Amino acid sequence: MTADPRLVRALLACYPASWRRRYGDEYAQLLCDLRIHRHPRLIADSLRGALRAQVSPGGPLMSFRSPMTAAIGATGLFTVAGIGFQKLAEDLTGVAGAVYALLVAAAAVALVALVAAAAPTAVALLRGRDAGARWYLAVPVVGAAAWYGVLRLALLIARGHGVHSPANLTGFALIAAAGVAVVAATAWAAGTVLRRVPADQPRRLRPAALVALAAGMAATTALALVWGLRVHASDPAAFHGDQGILATPFLPSWIGVLVLMAGATVLAGLAGSRQLAATR
Amino acid sequence: MVDELGRWAEPGLLVLTSLANGDKHGYAITNDIAEHFGVSLGPGTLYAALTRLEERGLIEGLPAEGRRRPYRLTASGAAELSAQATRMQRLATLSLGRLRLATP
Repeated sequence: MTADPRLVRALLACYPASWRRRYGDEYAQLLCDLRIHRHPRLIADSLRGALRAQVSPGGPLMSFRSPMTAAIGATGLFTVAGIGFQKLAEDLTGVAGAVYALLVAAAAVALVALVAAAAPTAVALLRGRDAGARWYLAVPVVGAAAWYGVLRLALLIARGHGVHSPANLTGFALIAAAGVAVVAATAWAAGTVLRRVPADQPRRLRPAALVALAAGMAATTALALVWGLRVHASDPAAFHGDQGILATPFLPSWIGVLVLMAGATVLAGLAGSRQLAATR
Repeated sequence: MVDELGRWAEPGLLVLTSLANGDKHGYAITNDIAEHFGVSLGPGTLYAALTRLEERGLIEGLPAEGRRRPYRLTASGAAELSAQATRMQRLATLSLGRLRLATP
């Protein structure tokens, strides 16, 4: 092995599992032969290849049979980003208020689009076409209850400690990890219900809804960008200060939220285009 | 070729050409293409092309030699490469001929 084995493993891990089973060993050998750790351009090329493999028609993120699953995944990611944005914006309520209101409206458009895309399945579920699938509705409820329990525990752990103390950071990490787990479990349950419940789909509803979902996410992402720039213009002290998530610097928090939102938007856009292609 | 191989047309054609004179594994293909065409194919681009060509039956993987797996051009791959090369040759002949006519 002539390359950094951790880097090779990390690059390989970016590919889908099925791809790794077929090409993993030989690809790892190629990365070693190329001494990939010395060539950032080749690292970027490998990451692009992994992304293409993930979103290819047979890839796990973009199966032609389940663009709705990808849309649900995108929504889960967007939800996490949205919670992060809300946490970021909660101490800056007086700044860029109009942009913030527009951002909330754009996010609402995305939510309505998702509800519209899932509506036929929800109706079929309520009509009892698949009684067993109703159990999946319990997932977000149980998840929210579990998350509330974790929240109470975290508050107990962090009580009386400073904002950057190990106890407070542990509590925050617990809350964040539990929140992401609940969102992921809810997305999984929703995806499962959408796959297994037979529903009468109006032909154009789902493609239009998924395109609107992606458009709403794109607008929200753009407005989050504008919001941060407005913060920079109107309150430079806050922009360069520790106004970020958990009193960390603002800039990394803002960029992190933007990256998550942009990733979710791309995923939703791909889901929309796949759904359009499947409908034609 | 664009219709057949979509967005991977150029790397796919380079890989087919590289395999035309014998079986090669990924690193050997990369070096061969760099040496003869002056094109540096990154690992992600190369394996995207290999995956697609293999799915279309234009190349096939041979038993691995250690961790390196050689690839071989199939009969379909050879026919495809031949057809594309003939088409490109025709295009090149036509282009050069017309350029000669246009040049006083």
